[in-house]
Amino acid sequence: MAKYVVTGTQVTLNGSDVSSSCARAELVINSAEVDTTDFGSGGWTEVIGGLKSGTVSLDFHSDFGAAAVSALFQTLVGTIGTVTIIAANGTAASATTPEYTAEVLVNSFTPVSGAVGDLSTFSVSFPTSGAVSYATA
Amino acid sequence: MGDIITIRQKIATNIGTITGLRTSAELIDNPSPPIALVNLDSVDYHQAFQNGTTILNFTVSVIVGRSAERTMQRKLDAYLTPTGAQSVKAGIESNRSLDGNCDDLVVTSASSIGSVTINDQTYLAAEFQITVYA
Repeated sequence: MAKYVVTGTQVTLNGSDVSSSCARAELVINSAEVDTTDFGSGGWTEVIGGLKSGTVSLDFHSDFGAAAVSALFQTLVGTIGTVTIIAANGTAASATTPEYTAEVLVNSFTPVSGAVGDLSTFSVSFPTSGAVSYATA
Repeated sequence: MGDIITIRQKIATNIGTITGLRTSAELIDNPSPPIALVNLDSVDYHQAFQNGTTILNFTVSVIVGRSAERTMQRKLDAYLTPTGAQSVKAGIESNRSLDGNCDDLVVTSASSIGSVTINDQTYLAAEFQITVYA
């Protein structure tokens, strides 16, 4: 596998491919830091990994066409949705184009956004719920 | 998105709604004013994943007539007005999806308003900048 320029990340929401309306995708997986510093730490802090969490952030071009991305989000606020992201410009999960799947809480949606003359866009950032899976096949 | 040839032609078609203004979807050697010429300046690829959005930046050059004639200045003023039957901006934006060949378009500005020399003749002209989201 080589380094790559992002051009074709595949993003789906509840099974709908929204890639062509998406201009940025980011999945962050975190682990909480649990402090285990004690008198034996030699003057340094010590930590171990705690609970894991994640965030999915996506930038979209607004589109209210039938089954388009803005219409898709319209009824999802407050619900758990499934987001898949295939990295590295892939269209199917593979060792070099892994697929991440996350349940996310759709906790916000900005249906109207944009200044005069600008392309209308909106950004979302959802916390994950449960494990983020990773598939290579 | 539609192919660029079609998009160019559809822009010319939109301008063709202006009475008395000839159009050409391509640049030509010997334009006969008043005429609007559609030219593609640049293409911005990868504006969304998987070629979901491409931005096409067009310039429409409107050549009105001999610059010495006062009526030509008035005609150009009418072409530059943002609304009305003689408005080039309104004409171009009269069908913003270009019959489904793009998502949207907008006329962002007009510039280079003044004289141009073509085949040793001086004409009044202006350039309209168009951004097409396809």
